[in-house]
Amino acid sequence: MVNLQSDLSVAIGKLQLRYPTLMGSGCYGSGEEYAPFADLSKIGAIVLKSVTRLPRLGNATPRLVHTPAGMLNAIGLQNPGIDWYLEHDLHKYASRPCAIVGSVAGFSIDDYANVCGRLAQRDEIAALEINVSCPNVASEGETFGCDPDLTARVVEATRQTTDKTLIVKLSPNVTDITKIARQAENSGADALAVINTVRGMAIDVEAWRPRLGNVTGGLSGPAIRPIAVLAVYEVARAVSIPIIGQGGIENITDALEFFLAGATAISIGTANFTDPRIPERIVEELDAYLLRRGLHSMRDLVGQANVGITTPDQYEGDEG
Amino acid sequence: MAIPPSMQAAATALAVYEAEGKRASILFFVMGPRTRELARLQIGDALSVTGPLGNGFDCSVPSHDASIVAGGVGIASVWLCAQRLLQRGIRVRLFYGARTAALLVDARRFEQLGCEVIVATDDGSAGMHGFVTAALERAVPPETIYACGPSPMLRAVGAIASRWNVRAQLSLEETFGCGVGGCWGCVVPLDRCSAQAPSFPPAAQGGSDVVFARVCKEGPVFWSDELRW
Repeated sequence: MVNLQSDLSVAIGKLQLRYPTLMGSGCYGSGEEYAPFADLSKIGAIVLKSVTRLPRLGNATPRLVHTPAGMLNAIGLQNPGIDWYLEHDLHKYASRPCAIVGSVAGFSIDDYANVCGRLAQRDEIAALEINVSCPNVASEGETFGCDPDLTARVVEATRQTTDKTLIVKLSPNVTDITKIARQAENSGADALAVINTVRGMAIDVEAWRPRLGNVTGGLSGPAIRPIAVLAVYEVARAVSIPIIGQGGIENITDALEFFLAGATAISIGTANFTDPRIPERIVEELDAYLLRRGLHSMRDLVGQANVGITTPDQYEGDEG
Repeated sequence: MAIPPSMQAAATALAVYEAEGKRASILFFVMGPRTRELARLQIGDALSVTGPLGNGFDCSVPSHDASIVAGGVGIASVWLCAQRLLQRGIRVRLFYGARTAALLVDARRFEQLGCEVIVATDDGSAGMHGFVTAALERAVPPETIYACGPSPMLRAVGAIASRWNVRAQLSLEETFGCGVGGCWGCVVPLDRCSAQAPSFPPAAQGGSDVVFARVCKEGPVFWSDELRW
């Protein structure tokens, strides 16, 4: 990697990141898997795969379907449960040369508080992401993130368990994402991750059956990028806490769209599947962009394209 | 290995066909836009490759003879296996199935390598008429089996191996996401007691004895008697 000349550091609540790049939860394992193919010291943070209170085998197969410019997944929060995770897995993550963000999922307010509190006690964990928006678990998973009051209750309950940075990951599968975003902020969230995957499905026209074992899945990849950019843009106008923008980011141009819409940092998920060197390349090119535009820090970039939402009202009376 | 073509949300997973020193070759059929793009590459073009990924056939299992079963493009995964078995002095019989004669690749080369090759085609245009597993079933049971091909073929090979009380290594094909073990998309149900099972708590009383293992990381090769599919 070339020597960087710009200051690319950002603060997400108390979490200080050298680079404004996070690796999306569920896409990057524990980092160990990618270590042979990517330089983990050149990324901001890894968001670990979500953990639940009890072990979960995960969804039936197939769990993935490739779609135009994207991918449907329905993994179903496969994880060994918080007890096993704390005892057998977490200590392995201590030596990573980047920040480690834990991710909490649950099926009740108590679940979230329990897992969050226990994860937060561990030194390996720098911050916590509260996943209230997994679209791939029967009934409850995404329900929290689609209901402003339930979101508020999960955030209040997890907030009480820790002073570490709480990032609430929002679902795009709602009528008005800004309402949920405001509730999360008012309930004590330090930052928001915008967005989780977009619900979707694919059908096998010979078998006459859905392609995914779970029937429905979450769409990721470039196909959802414009949806995500808009969500970040709108949420940035509604809240004053930092936003981590995510959804189909594959290169510097994509990343810049999110920064300019109002994201303080970005998260890269599916793009790692194409090429594990993409995050490092984005950091290098971001540095070059700041230099070229004469910008001193990320603060000079974030939200600069956010000019508001044009409404038909603005043209009323203009008979020109 | 995984090769990222342009305009796709994931890389293409390919087996290493032959390898010698610093040279590795791949064998693929032109099936869709990705492989078409790959086929258009010229000598000297650069490719971004992630790999090698996952495990391979364990050819160190002691035996006097072995059968390799390859279906369709599964042939691309068994050259190194055949080579290593033969180097160990193990007699190798290759059961090679394809839809039609035109899709048979390198059958003669496997013979030259020292394998006994038994061909089967779905339309009878070469070798035996029918599935390659029917040919396998009619043969004398070997001491070990290695197989790569479509899932129905692998299941059939697993069933035959179990009837014969022979252990079989199956190289599985799945839809892959990350290819390195990070996304848990390409899983297969495996006995929780398998040495290949990922880190997971033991089954609760009356609970499932299955855990999902990653085809890209713990696999793609699994022992047929440990798969719970």
